[in-house]
Amino acid sequence: MAAGVKIEKLSFSYTTDKQVLKEVSLEINPGEKLGIIGRSGAGKSTLLLHLNGILNGSGHISIDGIKVEKRSLYQVRKKVGLVFQNPDDQLFNPTVEEDVAFGPLNFGLSCEETKKRVRDALRAMNLEGMEKSVSHHLSLGERKRVALATVLAMQPEVIAFDEPFSSLDPEMVVQLIDIIQKLDATLIVVSQSLLPMLACCSRLAVIRDGVIVADGTTREIVTNRELMKSSGMDLSFYRELFRDYF
Amino acid sequence: MKHSFLDKYSNLDSPVHRLDPRVKTVTALILIIIIVSETRGALFPFLFYIPVVAVLVAVSRIPWSYILKRCLIVAPFILLTALFYPISNMLASDYRPQGQYNHDYMVGLSIFLKAYSALILLILLTSSAKFHNLLLGLRKLKMPKLIGIISALMYRYVFLIHDEILKTNMARDSRTTGKLKMSRLKVFGNQSAMVFIRSFERSQTLYNSMLSRGFNGEFPSMSKLSVKGKELLLPGVLIFLMLVIRLANQNIQNYLFN
Repeated sequence: MAAGVKIEKLSFSYTTDKQVLKEVSLEINPGEKLGIIGRSGAGKSTLLLHLNGILNGSGHISIDGIKVEKRSLYQVRKKVGLVFQNPDDQLFNPTVEEDVAFGPLNFGLSCEETKKRVRDALRAMNLEGMEKSVSHHLSLGERKRVALATVLAMQPEVIAFDEPFSSLDPEMVVQLIDIIQKLDATLIVVSQSLLPMLACCSRLAVIRDGVIVADGTTREIVTNRELMKSSGMDLSFYRELFRDYF
Repeated sequence: MKHSFLDKYSNLDSPVHRLDPRVKTVTALILIIIIVSETRGALFPFLFYIPVVAVLVAVSRIPWSYILKRCLIVAPFILLTALFYPISNMLASDYRPQGQYNHDYMVGLSIFLKAYSALILLILLTSSAKFHNLLLGLRKLKMPKLIGIISALMYRYVFLIHDEILKTNMARDSRTTGKLKMSRLKVFGNQSAMVFIRSFERSQTLYNSMLSRGFNGEFPSMSKLSVKGKELLLPGVLIFLMLVIRLANQNIQNYLFN
């Protein structure tokens, strides 16, 4: 199940002197895998926090036709799962099982259904048998997978990832790409790691100083050297290195 | 960061650990009330209370070193209270018979013993159950919802602050040659401020993550509490034993002084 996302003229500022998002408009079709790239501080994570109403800027956001506003938060949060950059920000229960069950229980699922969802989510993340493990005793890679399992257990129609590839070793990045590719939901991935995004996303949007400056297929965006350079995503230096070593 | 301190020994398996958190909480409270309400200055009953508490600790398999370490945290307050009773009485009057002084010291000592017995029972209670199970038990015992939420969040944020302290300690130690000199207290000041700012920011993100998963003020749990009849045997025997000691001492006192 996947839902569409529509963002219209979204603006937001944390302080009065600087606008983080400036009239951002995006339309994401159900099942689409969109990557959002840009420099640090460009407004990528802030944009994600608007998707399930944690931040409320001016403008309109709708998920599957439901407008994101105070009275629709319950429905919206059921549909949109956020995977935070730092898994430690996402895991707050004593055991893996309880962390994964937190979302489904909050949305009123029965204990039996929740247990089934926990089992399925942990199996999808190759974390079977770790139900009773203490979350903050796991390795970073495992914590990242648990964080994703906490969202998968809610069976959201839209999953938003904030820097999912940061601090992961290359093998884990490949594993995560594989997991993301198999997800049956609308995906919005925010990252500065361009290479994994090429594997995950069919469409890329470039954000610069709170403004979407480009939006197109992954190939269109990545092959636009001028755009990549001006957005701080130029990989030509690495291309030379790759040519030398591989 | 890897740390666990509040319910470090909650994973052990013992008759104390296996008790339902509600039974455990109510039993601990009753035992504490029996001990604390003991006659002022009565030391004789502690010859029975202390072994009972000691047996409970031994049964729980929680190491004494851990219990004593936790007791040390509040030692200054208990010691001061116990010491100040005879001292303040001594300073308050010019002349008092020797017997009165002895009684004051006995009262001081009984304050000390009461406080420590109660403290050990509380440590036993919090260490032998997962914190969230304890809260769940308290919620079932009709503890106000708000207090439950505050306690649960506080428990989580204690780890968060501790996490930030460990991180900033590592950052500081990696750039210093060893122990910090007293002249560099400013560093500690800055570090403390940073710990709170960072903790605040992280707690905000954590809260956002809870909201994004439908948090509405309740911590739902899959655990279902149930009390079996035989589970009540140990607490029942304990309470009965302590009550017998308490009442026997009361009667002895009444007999001696009437």
